[in-house]
Amino acid sequence: MTQPPSAVDAFARDVRLYVFGEAADTGRVPQPPEIAAALGHSQAEVEQALRQLAAGKVMILAPNDGNIWAANPFCAVPSAFQVEARGKTYWGICIWDALGIVAALGTDAVIRTVCGDCSEPMLLEIAGGKLKRSEGIIHFAVPAHHWWDNIGFT
Amino acid sequence: MLIFRAEEHIDRWCETRNIKRGETLTPQQGWQLAYGWYKDKLKPEWGRHTLEEAEALLAGVGLTAPFWNLRD
Repeated sequence: MTQPPSAVDAFARDVRLYVFGEAADTGRVPQPPEIAAALGHSQAEVEQALRQLAAGKVMILAPNDGNIWAANPFCAVPSAFQVEARGKTYWGICIWDALGIVAALGTDAVIRTVCGDCSEPMLLEIAGGKLKRSEGIIHFAVPAHHWWDNIGFT
Repeated sequence: MLIFRAEEHIDRWCETRNIKRGETLTPQQGWQLAYGWYKDKLKPEWGRHTLEEAEALLAGVGLTAPFWNLRD
């Protein structure tokens, strides 16, 4: 029999939906003060919920504070993986997440990035759910079962 | 995960950083994998993929080498 969610789990769900909704709607990942104000809870409660979500690998927190680094696939800070969609700019922490932003939004998009080696500009385009234009090769340096050992490096 | 212009750029990136070369995907494989991984992330009912689901997503785009093994 399914147990009803605890109040803590229900609040974490509210935080998740707010964070991801804002990220998708605006291209900007909200941080604890804004989330607290929007949901009418204390910042401490929000930070606790974010730690719970990060522990569940729903998002990634910055190493030294309670801020969100990535509500993956949405990165909170500009990166080398820029996604242009819905007339907005989004950022991924890697090429997989840049593609993931397009998948999550379910929209046409252009990804502007650079070669990891020589920094030459590269462009991928998705339209109608299909990869219409691409170039290059994606490289995973970390074996799959070690991805979360150091997700920043991965 | 980075994207490179060509194989030799991957080799150079690994060599200059003393990083063992990993595995590569075509952009099409990357798109298919990202699509399966993230297409539901904004939905209220979203939940993390189970191990079996994640394995199926990887296998579905042809990633079956030991490198892609998610189990310890």
